[in-house]
Amino acid sequence: MSIMDQNGGSVIAMVGKDCVAIASDLRLGNQALGVSSNFQKIFPVTDRIYLGLPGLATDVTTLKERFRFRVNMYTIKEEREIEPETFAHLVSSTLYEHRFGPYFCEPVMAGLSKTPSGGYKPFIAATDLIGCLNFAKDFVVAGTASEKLFGVAEGLWEPDLEPEDLFETISQTLMNAVDRDAYSGWGCVVHVLTKDKVITRTLKGRMD
Amino acid sequence: METSFAITGKGYVIVAADTTSARSIIKMKSDEDKIKTLSPHLLMAYSGEPGDTVQFAEYVERNIRLYHIRNLYALRPSASAAWIRRALATSLRSRKPYSVNLLVGGYDTSEHTPHLYWIDYLGTMSEVPFGAHGYGAYFALSLLDRYHDPEAPLEEGLATLRRCIDEVSKRLVVTPGKYKVKIVDKDGVREVEL
Amino acid sequence: MASADGGAYSYSLTVFSPSGKLVQIEHALAAVAGGTTSLGIKASNGIVIATEKKSSSILIDDSMIDKVAVVCPNIGIVYSGMGPDFRVLIAKARKSAQAYWKMYGEYPPTRVLTQEIATVMQQATQSGGVRPYGVSLLVAGWDITRGPTLYQVDPSGSFWAWKASAIGKNMINAKTFLEKRYNDDISLEDAIHTALLTLKEGFEGQMTEKTIEIGVITVPTTAELEEGKIGGETGRPKPTFRKLTEEEVRDYLAL
Repeated sequence: MSIMDQNGGSVIAMVGKDCVAIASDLRLGNQALGVSSNFQKIFPVTDRIYLGLPGLATDVTTLKERFRFRVNMYTIKEEREIEPETFAHLVSSTLYEHRFGPYFCEPVMAGLSKTPSGGYKPFIAATDLIGCLNFAKDFVVAGTASEKLFGVAEGLWEPDLEPEDLFETISQTLMNAVDRDAYSGWGCVVHVLTKDKVITRTLKGRMD
Repeated sequence: METSFAITGKGYVIVAADTTSARSIIKMKSDEDKIKTLSPHLLMAYSGEPGDTVQFAEYVERNIRLYHIRNLYALRPSASAAWIRRALATSLRSRKPYSVNLLVGGYDTSEHTPHLYWIDYLGTMSEVPFGAHGYGAYFALSLLDRYHDPEAPLEEGLATLRRCIDEVSKRLVVTPGKYKVKIVDKDGVREVEL
Repeated sequence: MASADGGAYSYSLTVFSPSGKLVQIEHALAAVAGGTTSLGIKASNGIVIATEKKSSSILIDDSMIDKVAVVCPNIGIVYSGMGPDFRVLIAKARKSAQAYWKMYGEYPPTRVLTQEIATVMQQATQSGGVRPYGVSLLVAGWDITRGPTLYQVDPSGSFWAWKASAIGKNMINAKTFLEKRYNDDISLEDAIHTALLTLKEGFEGQMTEKTIEIGVITVPTTAELEEGKIGGETGRPKPTFRKLTEEEVRDYLAL
């Protein structure tokens, strides 16, 4: 029994056409016992960056607070909002600071980064628990259902999906993957980020 | 074995904890109060490693009290719970972590809402409509999935709690004898006999 | 009390004089005012910083003296005042820029780095057993949010953004000269010439590529930025700040 599987939970992020999506389940467990069906593991960092933190629940909360602190300090000091690429590096360095006594979380990020010409470019990334960055062009997964998520996402994802289609793809991927994982499930939350709004929907699945 | 429950209802939180104090297979005491009143509208049930429990509960109690004295108003339930969680999360990565599981129930006098937080020794925290620790949790939670109503009046809430206690007494091999039950609502904290 | 040497309050760095001055800081400013002239001009498409390089003996190999320093690919600094103090500050600034890079994967914006240096200089006015840094700095940099910016930092730790400024021996005259010559849509080429003309006022000796140092910020075009921030095979960002070579300085002087 790995400590990464103590509380259960999974997160996935996908790239679409001028949009990105990030989704997670809502379960908090204590090994096989379900404790909460409303445990958020995705947090907004700015209007255009969302961060998912699957893993050990105590570290989910601690890291959420730590990143909130660091991003707030950055925003005040630099008088600007942090960009997704920069935030990804911040996540990586923060985790690597604890290389020999890590936080048991594998962050997943989704965001839209500003281009020099004033447009927005989809951005997703994930790291392992010591901050090794993985910039993917299609999708990233993490959590107790990650193997299943890889399989379903590989089959369902296609390039240049519009926001509504991307929502459907990420929702189906997550819901079907967590149904095959005893430690994930109990409902899902999905965020789709577009240049002028964020669509957030909560889904019910097999609530058992 | 040690068991504690807590349930929210319409404008109140009920917190219950067994009263046995055991050392290995011996019952040392059967009237131990394992629910602390942290502030006028805040209760905390604690269980876990003997020694750590009382030590940590008193540490929390004194700090919440200190906040009250310094600021002339009590720390709200959500903030209190966050502070307590932080204390446990920091302790977890220390040389000798506290091994204490908690149920923090309170009534927010600014929002007029009851709040209940499930916290374990790792610093895992979740706001829940009902929660439980110990072996009793395996029976009580599924029962509460069926019978809990967040809008239930106090009498109904107490009846649901009674069901939990009865179920645990019926099915658990190592069942605790007596329970202490405390309620927190807009009028503050009080103890009730079931 | 208010005698020329500063009286009883002139020695302790951290004690205010009755008039509300920290006399040691004033002395540090005097050290700067005795240093060689440096100046900076912000142009529409870049920034130029320049300084006079003076050596006390013809036997000194002046090609080894660096008064314009590169801190990171997007920031350069020139100083007036005490050389050794500048060297220490540059070492700290470079370290700070690399620490920022380690944390965020990019180099600091000019303002952030300037603030960092200013904090170091301020701390030297409030700690025991130290003296203030005997330098004023002109920090020129480019970043994506604020574009090209030029800052001046003083021994007290205060800093301002300038369109054009001068520090050191001839600063009063140089500033008056710059006020007359400056306009908002000056090009970088013109700014470099203005910089040289300004230095010429009150220049002691011959102005040659050996006695002048110049650094420039070139603002990248949108197309260059769109290409990506990684330049070449080194993986390093394309520099926006660079020092002019002796040949380049000679060409500018010839015009």
